[in-house]
Amino acid sequence: MTPAVSIKGLSKRFGHTQALNDVSFEVPSHSIFGLLGPNGAGKTTLFSLTANFLKADSGAVEVLGIDTRYISRLQGRLSILPQDAQFQRNVPILDQLVFFRRLAGRTKPQAQDEVLHTLDLVGLQSVARRRVGSLSHGMVKRLGVAQAFLGHPEVILLDEPTAGLDPANARQVRDLVRQLQERTTILVSSHNLGEIQELCDHVAILDHGRLVLAGSVDDITRSNRECNLSLSRPLQDVELQRLVAIRGVRSIERTSSPAGNLNHDARSAEYLVKLNLSAEEIDQDTVIAALLKAILDMGITPRRLTEGHSLESQFLEVTGRPPAPASG
Amino acid sequence: MNLKTLNARHIWLISLHWSRHAVRSGAGLVYLMIALVFGLSVAHAVIMPVEQLMALQKEQTGHTDPDAIHNTIITVGRPVAQFVLGLKSMAEASEQATAQEQPNAGDSRMATPGAADPARLDPWTDFLLEDRPALLSAIFLILLFGMPFAISFLAFNQVTGDIQGHGLRYLLLRTERGNIYFGRFLGTAAFSTAVTAVIIATITLYLGLRVRIYPAGALAAWAMHGFLALAILMLPYIAVCSILSASVDSPFLSLVLAKLTIGGVLLLAILSGLKWESMKLIKYALPWGWQNHLLHPEPAHWLGAGLACLLYTTVFLMLGYARFETRDL
Repeated sequence: MTPAVSIKGLSKRFGHTQALNDVSFEVPSHSIFGLLGPNGAGKTTLFSLTANFLKADSGAVEVLGIDTRYISRLQGRLSILPQDAQFQRNVPILDQLVFFRRLAGRTKPQAQDEVLHTLDLVGLQSVARRRVGSLSHGMVKRLGVAQAFLGHPEVILLDEPTAGLDPANARQVRDLVRQLQERTTILVSSHNLGEIQELCDHVAILDHGRLVLAGSVDDITRSNRECNLSLSRPLQDVELQRLVAIRGVRSIERTSSPAGNLNHDARSAEYLVKLNLSAEEIDQDTVIAALLKAILDMGITPRRLTEGHSLESQFLEVTGRPPAPASG
Repeated sequence: MNLKTLNARHIWLISLHWSRHAVRSGAGLVYLMIALVFGLSVAHAVIMPVEQLMALQKEQTGHTDPDAIHNTIITVGRPVAQFVLGLKSMAEASEQATAQEQPNAGDSRMATPGAADPARLDPWTDFLLEDRPALLSAIFLILLFGMPFAISFLAFNQVTGDIQGHGLRYLLLRTERGNIYFGRFLGTAAFSTAVTAVIIATITLYLGLRVRIYPAGALAAWAMHGFLALAILMLPYIAVCSILSASVDSPFLSLVLAKLTIGGVLLLAILSGLKWESMKLIKYALPWGWQNHLLHPEPAHWLGAGLACLLYTTVFLMLGYARFETRDL
């Protein structure tokens, strides 16, 4: 199957800064692909090269099998939410988006219908006739998302789509992205690793302009999957050793409860369970079931089990740095 | 640079959108104000003395004599027109103007305009002052000189602001770079043409309805010629601004460079031309050397000047497009 996006040996330098260095990976069709990396890793540069805003020093990008140097052949098939791109401040939202659709060959009434429908999806229909300058930061961000979704493109690049949005609006954008997955391939860059892990089925991690990891989220986190476990009492050493001996469990570490957590029961004990599913080739549910059964056999009550930030651990491992604070 | 990818519909839509929202972008509003103030001030400065003369004449004789007024305009305007057209040096022009201030000389000219005046031998000046409505000719000559300075206030920000703010990124996946570049040029030119039309129409209506010393048909025909001359002249200057706008990332820098380029070429030609004759040719880097020919009596001259303006426009546009097509946005 032809990948939706194919990046081959892409390099770009700005003065003395090597923004991207020989980056290659492929984005499968109809996937939600997360692009991760610390600030300055090259994510926005990669998006800008993919959309042909910037000219690559070397390498090539193909979208839907078309070299993006001939970007006009992708009109209507590829769209982008660029980071920090400004709309015309004094022009009404409706005029700007209708203008975009008219470039795609729509008549004015058709364009207006499409635009109003899309604005409705992001909750902006009521402000359609207002000027961009009068909108809040979050509304402008949603407007950017709306313009990227206009016209049912086959590939959408979203550069930090939820940055600056409140949790409810961020959730709305994530839901929209999920709805689009059936017919669209979506590349998302974000600092919010939890969001990427929740939303994406594939990821690539960039650091200092280099690709350090790429693959499906499942594959990447298999060797380093985490669960947070809350038990009715602390484990004794023997009990701990029994649990670690379960197939697929890599380690179990006691963690302190979050400071200021009023709901925290002083008698309970919190543990971080690290799983390694790659070597054992078993699935997570089987390991968890075995783990819980053993705990119950020990007469301990499991009070809470939540999935941990496996991707974050992997990110930390390959970049050596924690991700920037999530803003969306 | 691939012109085959240009899309006429896209260029039309971009041009329409751009000219429609030019006033809202600020630059259009500034240009509208500057052009109106400049154009109407020039008209005021040229027409007011004539109105005063007419009022004086009416006070003294009880009526106005359009022929006498017309002859006075010709006499006073001739040395100035000859200097502006480059037919006489400043010294010769002021010598002639001083001679006209002698009461006898002035009276004789008013009585028989140009009867024994060697300056009458100059057909271009005669055409502008005698064959065509002289007041309009004077206004056109000043506008042809001044409007290139004003146009940069409109044209400096065709793409540079959107390069700086990355606003073009919303368009780049929807149309070709060339369509954006040429569409915005056409939108700017359309806006400039509309403003020029408003200025010329206002002045012409005032001359026709209030001053009433020229036949309406002659006034309308010459106004149309002057409007076309100004509209065509603006194109190469807008195209120069297009190059600068496509080449720098700062609107302010683009404006400064536009001012320096448009004014600098003329200033350099004048100043260096005082010492070295050949340096006067610098003015042909822009249409400065051709533009007055847009008001020449010979069709070959004004057609040639018009074609020269279009040629400059084409060359400048292609240079700017080559830059815009290949740069990072």
